[in-house]
Amino acid sequence: MTALFASHGVATPWVLWLLPLALVPLVASGRRRNALPAIAAAPADPLSRRIGLALTLSGIAALGGLVVGLAGPYRAGERITRIGIGAQVSMLIDRSGSMNETFAGKQPSGAEESKAAASRRLLAGFVGEREHDLFAVTAFSTAPMLVMPMTDRHDAVRAAIAAIDRPGLDYTNVARGLAMALAQFGADRGVSRVLLFISDGAAVIDPRVQNQLRADFAKIRPNLYWLFLRTKGSPSIHDRPEGEDTPQAAPERHLDLFFRSLGIPYRAFEAEGPQAVADAIAQIEALERDPIPYTEIRPRHDLTGWAYGVAALGLLLLALAALAEADLSARRTARGVAAAEPRRRAA
Amino acid sequence: MSAAPSPALPLARNLRGPRFLALALALALTLAALVAPALPVTRTGAEILMVVDITGSMNVRDYTQDGRPASRLDTAKAALRRLVADLPCGSRVALALFTERRPFLLFAPIEVCADFAPLDGALAALDWRMAWEGDSRIAAGLHRAVAMAADLGTDLVFVTDGQETPPLPGGEPPPFDGRPGAVRGLVVGAGGYALSPIPRYDELGREKGFYGEADVTQENRFGPPPADAESREGFNPRNAPFGSVAARGTEHLSSVREPYLKRLAAEAGLAYAHLDGPGGLDAPVLGAVAPRALRGSLDPRPILGALALALVLATLCAGLPRSLIPSARPR
Repeated sequence: MTALFASHGVATPWVLWLLPLALVPLVASGRRRNALPAIAAAPADPLSRRIGLALTLSGIAALGGLVVGLAGPYRAGERITRIGIGAQVSMLIDRSGSMNETFAGKQPSGAEESKAAASRRLLAGFVGEREHDLFAVTAFSTAPMLVMPMTDRHDAVRAAIAAIDRPGLDYTNVARGLAMALAQFGADRGVSRVLLFISDGAAVIDPRVQNQLRADFAKIRPNLYWLFLRTKGSPSIHDRPEGEDTPQAAPERHLDLFFRSLGIPYRAFEAEGPQAVADAIAQIEALERDPIPYTEIRPRHDLTGWAYGVAALGLLLLALAALAEADLSARRTARGVAAAEPRRRAA
Repeated sequence: MSAAPSPALPLARNLRGPRFLALALALALTLAALVAPALPVTRTGAEILMVVDITGSMNVRDYTQDGRPASRLDTAKAALRRLVADLPCGSRVALALFTERRPFLLFAPIEVCADFAPLDGALAALDWRMAWEGDSRIAAGLHRAVAMAADLGTDLVFVTDGQETPPLPGGEPPPFDGRPGAVRGLVVGAGGYALSPIPRYDELGREKGFYGEADVTQENRFGPPPADAESREGFNPRNAPFGSVAARGTEHLSSVREPYLKRLAAEAGLAYAHLDGPGGLDAPVLGAVAPRALRGSLDPRPILGALALALVLATLCAGLPRSLIPSARPR
């Protein structure tokens, strides 16, 4: 019984205070009243009694059904956990000013596409490709900005991605962005986690912060993908600088080395144009084919129809009874004084 | 009633009888309620770009929540979260941060009911640490926020305390060069009316006291000097056009700059409201933004059901008073 109350409810509970009205048929039948000289004159009739009882019950059903229907009964929705193919994807997107330049390092003109616009177009396709992916979006420039926490609402994620080709901000500060993107993964175990890092440059990670990041990566163990949008002529991830090989001289190379040293699954994609970005995203999609538990929300089920159905059944019987009513007084007057107006005691 | 060997029931008369008609009508209404589809109606919602100032002065704790001091930013977040929860379904909200001199769009408009969880989560996660620069050029930010709202096709809600950092040269904001009133919206002034100290943080984000008078720019000394510069101590037209004495002032303290914000709002054709606490933002926002027609639906069943209920009750009770009073009973 308590389980029934827990799983069922009504939309407007106060209407249920009208429920005692369903008892009105016990005191008022609403049927035509016939004048009889003595009630004892009528013979005991079990059939009549049963019909009377059935009509009372019909009245109760009609009123009760209508009141319950007005209150809007429903069976509560449920959350069901299922297993699908997908991953928790935390996207870390560079919003530094250089992302608004083309892959050739110029201001976009005509049909040219900026790096941000290309990533926006391609990422929007990536989100929603698979139904059960969860996404979080973090943007960073000088400071990291949590754009959207981990969610399965792909429309909202696409709205966040739609904002990434607006004018960017100052500089590229990777370390704090990485920390915030890592913090977006929930606590659940056994889920494929993907950190998708999209940037067109790198920066030196402070050695003190490096240790903290290493610990975070070791704890969360995401699959790390770095989509490096390389501007033409700028150094590649794999280029050794001519002079001293320090993080300051070649931040891209040293960020790559740092990622390699983390001991987590890691791949870097160097994209020098929109097509290369599309290929990289397709590869990432193909690589991430792990099961993920997801919650399916079974919506609440409206039971109002049932209540009105019961009421309609009761009303049908009541209406038929009203149609089939005999009028003893009328018949008597019809037999007696034919011209006299029939004395009706309509109730 | 039944066993009478009567030839025929008075069907024709019963058909015309008020009780049968009432019951049949109630039955028809109930059956209609069973099959009636939801009626399409037009409701009003809102499309809002929310821009939240996350500069240092928004950390001033001059509100109270549950008896504890609360910062302007926390209060603004609570108010916006409540506003989002109260907006009718179908309304859409975009969110942007403001610091330095321009708004930074976090996401394009999303629907407030279906996407409530990420929207609420993003509002809850707003933090002063997201600021990419320490400046707070409110007028420039507001003007660009108006342009951003026009670009997105939404109305604007701009939450700020109005403290320009650095102070404006000569106290005059840059002119608004858009068309006033082209974008409707509301400037929300956050903060108390009394001056309060501004918390100060170290590079790791830990609080380390408050700003002192010498820690902040008290006077903007870029551009031409003010008209009264000649009367200042140590004035020298070439070497010390602003005088030789360090500027003193209250820029290290903060209160809501209401007259300034009202002026900025009026110039841009926006309304102004003060943020009194976590509640109470709904009415001014809904009053200031343009109502947008949303497709909604009206469930006709309660109306049909209520009519049917009234008819049945009337039919049953029509004879009740007489039947309850013995003397009035039919002979």
